Formats: sequence, structure tokens, C-alpha cells
Amino acid sequence: MNAYMSPAIIMRVKEVGESDLLVTFFTAQKGRLSGVAKGARKSRKRFVNALDLFSLVSLEYAPRRQGNLLLLESGKLLNAYPGLRADFSAFSKASYMIELTEILFPPGVSEPDMFDLLNLSLDALSRGEKTHLVPLVFEFRALSMGGFRIDTGRCARCARPYQGEGTAVFLPETGGMACLKCGRPSALSPPLKPSVVKAIETLQHRPFREAMKEDLPEDTMKTLRVVLKLHREYRLERKLRTSKYVE
Amino acid sequence: MGIYPPPLENLIRHLSKLPGIGQKSATRVALHILKKPKGLAEDLSRSLLEVKEKITFCSVCFNFTDQDPCPICRDDTRGNGVICIVEGPGDQLAIEESGFFKGRYHVLHGVLSPLDGIGPDDLKIAELLMRLDREKISEVIMAMNPTTEGEATASFLGKLLSNKQIALSRIALGIPMGGDLKYMDAMTLLHALKSRTPLRP
Ligand SMILES: [Zn+2]
Ligand SMILES: [Zn+2]
Repeated sequence: MNAYMSPAIIMRVKEVGESDLLVTFFTAQKGRLSGVAKGARKSRKRFVNALDLFSLVSLEYAPRRQGNLLLLESGKLLNAYPGLRADFSAFSKASYMIELTEILFPPGVSEPDMFDLLNLSLDALSRGEKTHLVPLVFEFRALSMGGFRIDTGRCARCARPYQGEGTAVFLPETGGMACLKCGRPSALSPPLKPSVVKAIETLQHRPFREAMKEDLPEDTMKTLRVVLKLHREYRLERKLRTSKYVE
Repeated sequence: MGIYPPPLENLIRHLSKLPGIGQKSATRVALHILKKPKGLAEDLSRSLLEVKEKITFCSVCFNFTDQDPCPICRDDTRGNGVICIVEGPGDQLAIEESGFFKGRYHVLHGVLSPLDGIGPDDLKIAELLMRLDREKISEVIMAMNPTTEGEATASFLGKLLSNKQIALSRIALGIPMGGDLKYMDAMTLLHALKSRTPLRP
């Protein structure tokens, strides 16, 4: 049996059987995987602190003769994101990002950029860097990678290209926006100023580190949060379990 | 269907749902019960029902008890102003067995875990806050496990209690007894160094 070794982010840990742990983790090349660490609760030798929730570890795993679950052989801690343990708000945001990743990337769907995004976002939260911006950068980009990018290029109704001027209206049901001739602002269709449209583009397309350089005014952030909530709930057709701890 | 007759299969299935008991142990326990005289099975089923009927939570510390308040909460000599906060009754028992701690306990019944839908309102935190004034608490010891959720819970409580005139401490984390520095990871060593204790000759 071939064993693999790759960086992994621990998403969930559950005690099973007498001394085993069932671990769900995210990898760059194979997306979300699950495996059993035999005896990990009795002897921590092969997994010294490597199977703690929300840690970045180097994980060695192999397929088993039967079933989908992998067999975890060993693990080495790379980054424990210690700041997440020291602050419930950061911990909640991390939980939210993990839950969103689980929804957008079911087992079998891989996206190397998503792994990087998750790693960089958890690290930024842990270090306390722009913690109000991290969830926004993370979610716009994650939704975009997961196939739910907001179309800011043209009016979703009349197809007129958006030139970066004038107010547009967000239309959750189209996954895009409309010009003021085709759409009417309301609580469910918030108006988008040019600076907001530009911010959406930036957060959806730019790599994490570049997006994090943005200095968005508070009212822009507020509108972005509203847009995200409407967009997410329309596209994913659900409310995230962790959302009540971050809103 | 399995290799055993259905009633035996049933018992194995029920036993294997218990925490810490896998298929193999469940089979071993079931076969043992089957082999022994009927009295064992009767005693066992009686005490299973009895714990469900007689054991409740202490209304003060939320530990399991058959009398409310529990013996520890009623013991005046233990009302010394020190409370030790633990995740669950099992943790309380472990500390109590060590015989060192002489104060009172508070059982949270879990840890903060947003992924599982567990927030501050789902733990016995409001009840803890009420105790602090009522029992004139001067010191709180956080004895949550050193997992991500346990640490996050300890930090949360630490912030919550920071504006009160109460001494806060966290049980030491780091190198276990009989451990070997060479095999310790960076996180453990960091904790060990942070929670070092002065050496007095
Ligand atoms: Zn239009
Ligand atoms: Zn009690």
C-alpha cells in the first residue's frame, strides 16, 4: 500500500472505539479526506499534538484494504495557529471558515488554491492581523473558487457592461447585479456603489495577501457583509451552524 | 446479519455504542455476561435503571450526585473561596481522586465548539457567574483539557472574569511525567516554558 505524506489542516476530530480518533482534514492535492488514527488516544507518540482541531500538520496516511477511510500513520505539527485558542472570536471565525469549506468542497473535490486560502486565513486570524477583514476576504474568494462567483461584469438583466461608474443593484437570484434601469434597490437587493463593486472584484480575484492589503472603509465592509449573507443564503440554501457566533 | 444469534447480536450492538467500547470489547463483554449466572445480568440491569432514576445533577456545581446539593458543595470545610472549573464529571473525578484539591468544583458540561453548535449559552457559564458572588469566590482554577476547544474555552472564561477581583489560573500544560524532551513538539515545549515554576533550593 502506498503511503502519502502531505500538509493537512485538521477540520474535525472525533473519538471512536477504544482509543482511536476519526480525523477529517483538508489537503491541497486531494481536498477533504477522512482517516482513522489507531490508538492515538492511548499513545501520542506518532501524533504528538498533531491531531488537534484547526492545526496545520504534515500527515502521513495510507489507503485501507476496504472502505473509504484512510489509515493515518503519523503526523507532525507545522502550525498550531495558537491565536485561535486564545480568543473565542477568532476561534468562531475559524470554525465558520472550516464549515464553509466543508460545504463548498465535499470529499473528492480538490482545489489547491483553497488549501492555501484556508491556511493563510487561519494564520492571519491567529496572528490577529486585520481580523475584521479576514472573514470577508476568505468568504468572497472561497465562494468564487467553489463556483459561486458574483458576476460584476454586466447587468444580469439587460447585459449592459458595467463600466465602473454609477450605482448598481445586487440581485441574489441572478448571482450578479443589475443596472438601475433593470433593478430597484431594496433590503433584499442592496445598492452597490462603484467602490463596493470594485471591492467585490478585488476580493474575488486577488490572491489572499494582496486582498488583505485593502483598506476598506467601514460602510463598504458593512455592505459587503450584507451582500455575502444574501448571496450565501441564496446559493447554498442554508444557514451555517457557526454563523450565529460570527454575526 | 452477524454470526451470533439475534439476542446476542443485539447486546453487542448496544454495548458497542458506548464510548470507548469497540466491536471487539463489546463482544467480549456480551459473551462474559452470557457465561456468568443470571444474577449478574439482573444486578446489571437493575443498576442501569437505578442510575437513570436516582442520579441527578447537583444544582450548585452540576456534578452528578444522588443528593442535592452534592457532598462536596455541602462540605463547609471546602468552601474556601476556590473553584476548579472542569469540562465534565469525569475530569472532576480525576482531580478529586488525586486528593490534592480542597476547594469546590464547577462542571461546565462541555467546551465551546461552534462547529458542533455549542456556544457560551450551552455551557453552565451563567450558573458559574452567579456562584462567584454568592460563594465569595477569590480564586478560579481552569482545568479544561489542552485541546483547541478546551483552550478556547479557558481563554473565553478568562476574559469574562478578568474584570472581577478574582485570581485566575490555568493548570500547567507541557511535558508529561516520564516524558522525553526529544519527542516533544514545539507547542508542548512552548507551554512548558511558559508555565515553568521557580526552583527553590
Ligand atoms: Zn440593465
Ligand atoms: Zn455540587
